Amino acid sequence: MGQQVGAALAESMHRVTVKLVSFLPGLLALLVAVVVLTAIGALVAVILRRILASARFDERFGKTQNATVADLAPSHSPTLLISRVAFWACVVLGVIIGISAFDASYPGNTQISSILIPYLTHSIGAVIILLIGTVVARFLSRSILIGAVNLQMQYARFLSLGVKWLVLVLTAAMVLDHLEVGGSIVALAFGILFGGIVLTLSLAIGLGSRDLVSRSLEKNVEPPDRTGFDDIPPPTPRPTETLRHF
Amino acid sequence: MATASTISETANSPGSPAASLLVTLTPLPPDALERALANLAIAFPEQPVQVATPDPLPANTQTAARVHAFTYTPAAPAPGGWVLTAADYLNAYKVMQDHAASGCLLLGPEAQSLQPEALAGLGSGVLAGKSDLTMPLYSLGPRDGLVNSAILYPTTRALFGTRPRYPLAIDMALSRRMAEKLATAAQRFTASGQSGALLWPVAEAAAAALSVNETQAGTRAIPAPDSVDLNTILAHVAGSLFSDIEAKASFWQRSRLAYSPKAAAAHTQAAQAEAAEEAAELPEIQPMLDSFRLAYSNLHEIWSLVLPPNSLLGLKKLSVTSPAEFRMPDGLWARIVYDFVLAYRLRTINRGHLMGALTPLYLAWVASHLRLASLAGPGSLSPEAHIEALAAAFEADKPYLVSRWRWPDRFNP
Repeated sequence: MGQQVGAALAESMHRVTVKLVSFLPGLLALLVAVVVLTAIGALVAVILRRILASARFDERFGKTQNATVADLAPSHSPTLLISRVAFWACVVLGVIIGISAFDASYPGNTQISSILIPYLTHSIGAVIILLIGTVVARFLSRSILIGAVNLQMQYARFLSLGVKWLVLVLTAAMVLDHLEVGGSIVALAFGILFGGIVLTLSLAIGLGSRDLVSRSLEKNVEPPDRTGFDDIPPPTPRPTETLRHF
Repeated sequence: MATASTISETANSPGSPAASLLVTLTPLPPDALERALANLAIAFPEQPVQVATPDPLPANTQTAARVHAFTYTPAAPAPGGWVLTAADYLNAYKVMQDHAASGCLLLGPEAQSLQPEALAGLGSGVLAGKSDLTMPLYSLGPRDGLVNSAILYPTTRALFGTRPRYPLAIDMALSRRMAEKLATAAQRFTASGQSGALLWPVAEAAAAALSVNETQAGTRAIPAPDSVDLNTILAHVAGSLFSDIEAKASFWQRSRLAYSPKAAAAHTQAAQAEAAEEAAELPEIQPMLDSFRLAYSNLHEIWSLVLPPNSLLGLKKLSVTSPAEFRMPDGLWARIVYDFVLAYRLRTINRGHLMGALTPLYLAWVASHLRLASLAGPGSLSPEAHIEALAAAFEADKPYLVSRWRWPDRFNP
């Protein structure tokens, strides 16, 4: 019996070793592809950066564009944005080539690349969604914070945080859905969380801006008939109303 | 000898005598247009004047012998509004070219409220060839034109070495070459569809080494901005100025002063001497202080991206100061404006956010300025004297801006 156990173990070790040996070249090919394409990407990024810097691309772009591309770019440099996009594109290409090489060197009809490559593209899409969502969340929260402060809303920071988390929760739900993780649980959780945040914000705004709403309604209501109230002098205008900023 | 017809024409007339002075008006109601034409006739009794207006002239309009009014079709659609835009400058130059005028009087909205003496003062320098750009010095109250007093005038005086008190004037007189210079600058905006962009004639004249003059313009009805939202207008006007400063960086970094130190001190003393004997009534500044304190607690993180530690410390002290002692030092305000100019250039944060974050700081300055104006007794400053002292502070801190502009990462006190 001991000999049979030993023989079974030796045979399984042999099979695992054979599988490992056949797995290693593919893995090595994947690593080589990623490293080589990463090096090429770094070289392309450096060359692009030098070409665009010599052409003063940032200055020309800033003159012709008022929009937020330069604001969203890293270090507010469109040149840096383009060079980084080129670098990461080469890295992704290296990963795709590596997976194909891994699949080609792996014996049998496993078709790993037909499973991994679509998931890889989904992952890249998810990363892009995450990046865009984070940027949008930060932009919107700052816009609302500044706008609410200038409107003298006491709960400006609360409102800004609420909007930021709304966008982040939405982004996270989109990313998980894109990666096909969690299924309906994610959708349900997102619905509950999103609805809860919206309800909280609505209550906060509704309860906190009662005075603002009543003031705005009073402005649209006609002034009452003042006959019989002649003894009461009309309200004098506040001095701030006589300020002219321009 | 008067030769012109007393009946105004409704179309361009190539046969009309080429007048030296052209006056371009913005759209006006018929009665305002008649009043403006009458004022022009009084202002220039001997000088033939051509008056270009985009409005159709009423049939019964009668003008003086030497005032020839006509309707023209604007080359660029002017969006209208409360201030002159790029399209207005371009249209004025095109009409000057068509009528071979040597000088142009560009009058903005509510031009009928300008007195004939002001019109004559504006036109005389250009007609005599003594000045390429003549700006008006309006007689405004201490509570008027606060953005101009806080930001526009001190900044243009310090950086461009110019004296006009109202660099974003609504009216001005231009020589032909000044009009050409402004039209060239305007075309860059109109070509990209930004007909409503603002131009800064004083800065353009300084950068082109053209002569700038200023003349008393008396009182004038100042048109109200289209939008009542201070944030929007402040962002539009200040953002335009900051953009112009960025474009002319190579010019203003060379040191120049509008007044020598002695002349600046004398100018401030003269402004103090003109002050009323009694201090102005202090308006309600508590809302502005509340706005500033709310902004300090909420926008501190955003301000810290733009302002250095020294300025933040100054703001922190202000935030805990009582209203009776609230005073924003001139040097602190000057550095704040300069830091925002720099942040605008570097795009430290989104430009719309940057200008929105400036509004509470501006209101804090307004509160401080109004409180100063309301003080009485020896040592008190008149509003105009305070503005002149503020402009001097901007000039004194100009090296700070130059250093930070050249080395934004290294120089951060």
